[in-house]
Amino acid sequence: MVRRQSFRWILLVISITAFIILLINLSWWKVTLHFFFPSQIQVIYPSNSLLSLVARHLELVLISSCLTVLIGVPLGIWVTRPSGIEFQPIVNDLTSLGQTFPPVAVLALAVPLFGFGLVPTVIALFLYGLLPVIRNTIAGIRSVPVSLVDAAYGMGMSRFQALIQVELPMAYRVILAGIRISIVINVGTAMIGAVIGAGGLGSPIIAGLVQLNTAYVIEGAVPAAILAILIDQFLANIESSFAYSAQTQMA
Amino acid sequence: MIRLEHVTKVYDVKPAVDDLSLHVDKGEVCILIGPSGCGKTTTLRLINRLVEPTSGKIWVNDEDTSTVKPEILRRSIGYAIQSVGLFPHMNVSENIAVVPGLLGWEKTRTSRRTEELLDLVGLDPGVYSQKYPAQLSGGEAQRIGVARALAADPPVLLMDEPFGAVDPLTRQRLQGWFIRLQQRLKKTIILVTHDLDEAIRLADKIAIMQAGKLVQYDVPETILSRPANMFVHDFVGVDRALKRLSRVGVKRYVRQAPTVTQQSSKEDVLSAIEHRRSVWVLDEGRHPVGWIDRANMSNEFSIKDITFYADQYEMSVTTSDTLRDALSKMLGLGFRSIPVVDENGRFAGELTLADIEAATSEMENSSHG
Repeated sequence: MVRRQSFRWILLVISITAFIILLINLSWWKVTLHFFFPSQIQVIYPSNSLLSLVARHLELVLISSCLTVLIGVPLGIWVTRPSGIEFQPIVNDLTSLGQTFPPVAVLALAVPLFGFGLVPTVIALFLYGLLPVIRNTIAGIRSVPVSLVDAAYGMGMSRFQALIQVELPMAYRVILAGIRISIVINVGTAMIGAVIGAGGLGSPIIAGLVQLNTAYVIEGAVPAAILAILIDQFLANIESSFAYSAQTQMA
Repeated sequence: MIRLEHVTKVYDVKPAVDDLSLHVDKGEVCILIGPSGCGKTTTLRLINRLVEPTSGKIWVNDEDTSTVKPEILRRSIGYAIQSVGLFPHMNVSENIAVVPGLLGWEKTRTSRRTEELLDLVGLDPGVYSQKYPAQLSGGEAQRIGVARALAADPPVLLMDEPFGAVDPLTRQRLQGWFIRLQQRLKKTIILVTHDLDEAIRLADKIAIMQAGKLVQYDVPETILSRPANMFVHDFVGVDRALKRLSRVGVKRYVRQAPTVTQQSSKEDVLSAIEHRRSVWVLDEGRHPVGWIDRANMSNEFSIKDITFYADQYEMSVTTSDTLRDALSKMLGLGFRSIPVVDENGRFAGELTLADIEAATSEMENSSHG
């Protein structure tokens, strides 16, 4: 079990290193893209290096996802507590609204308020990613059998102790699954930040669309896809390094 | 030790527990029993304040429970429910350590206590402490559940169908184990069950509930011989004479019986079987291995050929079994007598059908007299 664990982490580190090497060596991209698009004179997006685009993209995703988790998980927990249970339908409806409202529209509405750049993009991504986090937090806590919570109280745990020692440990897999979904969605959605000048991997894509240069689009899309996979793997590794999940896999 | 005075719990308009008064003395096992929905579980939960009473007072250890913070109260009362109550994300020792953890015990004290408890419930700490509930059998899980309830050595235990989720055989073994454990620990226990046989076997006193009311509270013998009303009468059933046998241990009725070994001479066998229909055959360690039937004997015989061999545990009862166990085995085997063995499986004597009959009429007389 421990060996399989460390093997997964080693594999991830190798993958990330390979990804960074791929980002630094722009000459490889040049050769490959020239091969597929021989008619294009310019195949590499000139304004920023690929590495800095990925870094900026990661920044957008990390800030918005941290906000999503920091606000979504406590909110999801709160609406399962006796004090917040009445707000559960409202919170559910609002997060659904956040999900159905197109992020582009959020951007359009946010620009007059917050201007261009990072802030409105982060707000749009935050709202868009909230739904899976809150829904899964609620579902995870609800999935804990009533009899176990009852046993926890019966043994003398306070509500808070029961939450920390019993409910969250048993719900964390479902909660973490929601966080994974949210972050992976955000990696894709963060592309739209480029529309209002937030940068990131959306920039070459937009430029490519405007200038009818498919090579640019690929230069933005491929690293974004790899980024999403790597982040997902990273979270999957965290998930399986908890003893409890290892145990349930065995049983 | 535990005292409920005119306790009522009303949900909406219907009382789940209706003006219930109950006293349980120190060291007693009180069993709450009744049809489903009679309020027995609610009563149990009222005691550790998982449910708050609408009116009435409850004392535990001479302390009015309403004056203690619920969490503090519950840490001083052991609570065991069906095996689902073990936390699946914690291993066995972590599960047992929950209440000591809440009480802020030191690590070394807790781990010493955990090992002690695993020994107490008859599970090897080396094998079990690191296991997870999913890796335990039903019987093991329920033992751990009891160990967890005993962790902080509370004087009072509340148990809600603690042997509910296992097969009948395991259940019987657990009950026997529970009786021996209670003889050592002398805790004050309130146990909820829907199984009357379990109640009769384990209880010092049985409280029969119907629609939130206590209809009879007495020792099992009296409940069986003098039901308070038609409800109790019907509840204990027509086989209550049989049920009463499960209150009587085999020990008192064991009598000497002739035995032979496979190495015995013919003369020994002949003298042993004189005036009898059969004789028990033991091995060198004095464990019963079979019997010789008089009808099977001819003039020339070897002991090996005429012995009926049987599994020791199937053909005998132990001194800690009840007359009911013995009767049921005798009927199953078609015996008029059955060998009794001690804890080590060694022959201790025999029990006859006539003894059981005598015990029954003895009980009949004492309950009418």
